[in-house]
Amino acid sequence: MQSEIIIETRNLTKVYRDFWGRQKVRALKALDLEIRRGEIFGLLGPNGSGKTTTIKLLLGLLFPTAGQALVFGRDAREVTKNERIGYLPEESYLYRFLNAEETLDFYGRLFNMPRAVRRQRVADLIEMVGLDWAKRRQLKEYSKGMTRRIGLAQALINDPELIVLDEPTTGLDPIGTREMKDLIIKLRDEGKTVLLCSHLLADVQDVCDRIAILYQGEMKEMGRVDSLLKVQDVTEIRVTGLSAIGQEEVKRAIEHNNGHVLNIGNPTTTLEDLFLKIIRESEEHPGRRVRGVVEKT
Amino acid sequence: MVIDITDVTPLFIWLLGPEWTEGRLFHPLPLTVFLLLLIAGLSWLVVRLRKGHGSTDRGAARAIGGGSAAAIVLIALGIIAWKLLLLGKAEEIAWTLTLADFAEGLRNSCFKGLQWLLGSGWHQGALYWWFLVIISAAAAVFVLGWLAVALRRGPIKALETSGRAIGDCALDIIRISPRRVGALAGLGIKESIRRRVVVVFAVFILILLFAGWFLDPGSIDPARLYLNFVLTTTGYLVILLLLFLSSLSLPADIKSRTLHTIVTKPVRSSEVVLGRIAGFTAVATCLLLIMGVISYFFVERGLAHTHKVDADSLKTVEYAAGRPTGRQGLTTRVHEHRHKVVVDPSGNGRVEMEQGHRHDLKGDWKELLSKESAGKKYQLGQPEGMLLARVPVYGKLTFRDREGKPTDKGINVGDEWTYRSYIEGGSLAAAVWTFQGITEKRFPAGLPVDMILGIFRTHKGNIEKGVTGSLLLRNPRDGSDVKPTEVEIFESKEFQIDNRLIPREVRTPDGKKVDLFKEFVSDGEVEIWLRCVDMAQYFGVAQADMYLRAHNASFAWNFAKGYFGIWLLGLLVITLGVLFSTFLSGPVAVLATFGALLGGLFHDFMFRLATHQTYGGGPFESIVRILTQQNVTSEMEPGLRTTVVQTLDQPAAFGLWLLAAVLPDLSRFNVFSKCVAYGFNIPGDTILTYTCRTFAFVLPLFVAAYLCLKNREVAR
Repeated sequence: MQSEIIIETRNLTKVYRDFWGRQKVRALKALDLEIRRGEIFGLLGPNGSGKTTTIKLLLGLLFPTAGQALVFGRDAREVTKNERIGYLPEESYLYRFLNAEETLDFYGRLFNMPRAVRRQRVADLIEMVGLDWAKRRQLKEYSKGMTRRIGLAQALINDPELIVLDEPTTGLDPIGTREMKDLIIKLRDEGKTVLLCSHLLADVQDVCDRIAILYQGEMKEMGRVDSLLKVQDVTEIRVTGLSAIGQEEVKRAIEHNNGHVLNIGNPTTTLEDLFLKIIRESEEHPGRRVRGVVEKT
Repeated sequence: MVIDITDVTPLFIWLLGPEWTEGRLFHPLPLTVFLLLLIAGLSWLVVRLRKGHGSTDRGAARAIGGGSAAAIVLIALGIIAWKLLLLGKAEEIAWTLTLADFAEGLRNSCFKGLQWLLGSGWHQGALYWWFLVIISAAAAVFVLGWLAVALRRGPIKALETSGRAIGDCALDIIRISPRRVGALAGLGIKESIRRRVVVVFAVFILILLFAGWFLDPGSIDPARLYLNFVLTTTGYLVILLLLFLSSLSLPADIKSRTLHTIVTKPVRSSEVVLGRIAGFTAVATCLLLIMGVISYFFVERGLAHTHKVDADSLKTVEYAAGRPTGRQGLTTRVHEHRHKVVVDPSGNGRVEMEQGHRHDLKGDWKELLSKESAGKKYQLGQPEGMLLARVPVYGKLTFRDREGKPTDKGINVGDEWTYRSYIEGGSLAAAVWTFQGITEKRFPAGLPVDMILGIFRTHKGNIEKGVTGSLLLRNPRDGSDVKPTEVEIFESKEFQIDNRLIPREVRTPDGKKVDLFKEFVSDGEVEIWLRCVDMAQYFGVAQADMYLRAHNASFAWNFAKGYFGIWLLGLLVITLGVLFSTFLSGPVAVLATFGALLGGLFHDFMFRLATHQTYGGGPFESIVRILTQQNVTSEMEPGLRTTVVQTLDQPAAFGLWLLAAVLPDLSRFNVFSKCVAYGFNIPGDTILTYTCRTFAFVLPLFVAAYLCLKNREVAR
């Protein structure tokens, strides 16, 4: 069922308090979010905007101050939901004294997988992330990129339905980044749901179906990437084979210069432009949901 | 007829009986059926719950939560009602149920089979108190939790939340997966190895290497010295290591965030806690196994020695004019001692006991009497009786005064330590032990008596020679006019265990030879009298100073039991460390565990201090006394200062009492090492008692650790 809701947050709020119970930071303010099965959803925002807090609340690593976080329709603090989740943290927090095989075997055992299944799955994943040549080396000898790969493998050990990726391309070289993006799309095509947060806007633009932009704990924008990046009040006409004279006359009338119109539609901006505009607008009008930023450009 | 349905007391009495012993429920058949049904029901429930999947969690948790909450409230109400209604004495309600009560219950009822555990009937046993304490603690936590939620969300919502929390807790414990716990335990072991546990071995070997310089094999009891040394060293090293490992592990994982990748898998907090405990326990087991084997060989090699007997140094002894002669003399000096060697005219030789052991000759004793032995040196065998695990049979001690009349105590010779009571030499004064369970089958060769005597001399006499004493036998069924029969005269040995064998065949004063069991034993009871023969000298004895040695158990096995004692202590330290590490940062958790360990070791003192049984007042009064250099026994001068410090001491005493009530009494665990060092077998009762005592603390500590971790935000 394509429209099945996998993640749902209702009025999700997180306030960090100090030892004496005094409020320190309001990290997340009344977040309402719905993520459906089979989509790639991106959380965007500058540092301290509440992206990682949202992910931690969804994984039960933090408890909400108010509101509710539901994953697969169950409270985020329930352990059993984790059977269907794969999580790649911001930095691969793995035991550095284990080697790749031991690491994956360990996480496989945490999913209560029988030995034979575990062995097969470990071999497949090591091959998938291309670490066959280094599977017996301790993780402390791994480069950052290699650690990311083994981190991804551990997130997929249980063949999860929902994959949560925190900055998935950090530390990867251009080829590794491309492979990661291809993998994310492949996972979506297999019917899995992906939630990712990233600072690298181009990556998000490339892979995400929908995004939400957070700023200072509040959601500023949410929607499909293609519609968000569409500039509604500008018409773009792309032409080819236009002569030098035609170029002079293009402002008057294209059709009069034998040009062949290839496409007439709305031009798109880059996600980076959109993102910066939203942040600028939010700073000018704090506390207001940003609407129609794109239209004004 | 009007039936008062509110009065259910008769039903309870019919079912359980007035003392919970004679009710219908405790008749063999109903009891068996009830227990079988209970076990079957619980097993079915556990199997059902373990099989459950995610979707049934919520419902199951609610059902268990509701049921448990109701059960806790009902049991708590039931206990109060039972105390109020059946006893009818509200003031006698034990409101102060603590783990210390449980420990006290254990202490008072040890060594009586399983009675200490189950009590007489089904209550007043250790298990009963334990359940009572656990239920009281659970009820207190439930009520506090309910109050906390009720303040924010109202009473009904709070009841639902608290009930569900109990259900979740029960499910998290029932559904523990052995595979996940195994994985986490394996991780704990690997982590321990990574943290260079091997260094502890290096330190241990280094200590043993240098110990040879300081341990004196020529001391009075070298076996005790060696055994005490290895057991203490191993204990301290392992306990300290476990303390650091267990308290630093979880905080390190939280700090490095490796725990994030674990708790985002379907791992329950109970499994994380149990995995740590199991992992570190496995490390402790391996460490103790290896250290135990090394220690065993160290002790055996350290104590091994032989002597030689120079045949030329033996003097000829003439027992009677014109009869064959015997020989006696001393062995060569090894490990700072020599043994006396005696060969009687018929060629039976023996090496006298020295430093708690004797040797045997490698060869024929008769050869020493012949002329062929001239110029030869004979080699003795390895020491015997040095490393022992005696199985003692203790008797009941009574006294006779100098006129032979029964009395409760002997004479006090002025010792401050009143443990031993003294009997006067050259009089009818005697110490009389009555032993039970004495049978021919158990003691086929006679009665092997072990004695440890205190000696008090009123004149120096021959200081090289011991004080002479005698052992006498008497049948407890004989009338008071029947005198005991003297069976052995001996020379006392101070500061060591003297063993004597009263043979089966005993010669009576009229010269008749009689069988010990037929003449002196009635219904398995026998009296052994001890008298001091030398005038104006005294023997000091306590009840445990004489026992019959039923047999010697295997020393190696007893040594292993000693290490089991350290293992139990280690398990407690691990659980405490893991508990503190679930809510404290690493260094603070180490300090807290260390504090709990110290508190446990000084448990008795803390309890006495809290209940004002010590001199010098509480902590604040003590400080004032130290600063003003006041005697601890003198009263403080009345005045403002005294009032202030004594008022401050009240809450401090309550705090100490609370601590003493919660902490386990760890000082008692040294009974294991003491038994091994002093050469006594550790009885099965002791092992069972201490194992139960350990797990009685480990189980609630585990649940507490699980609850702390479950309610902690791992990512903060």
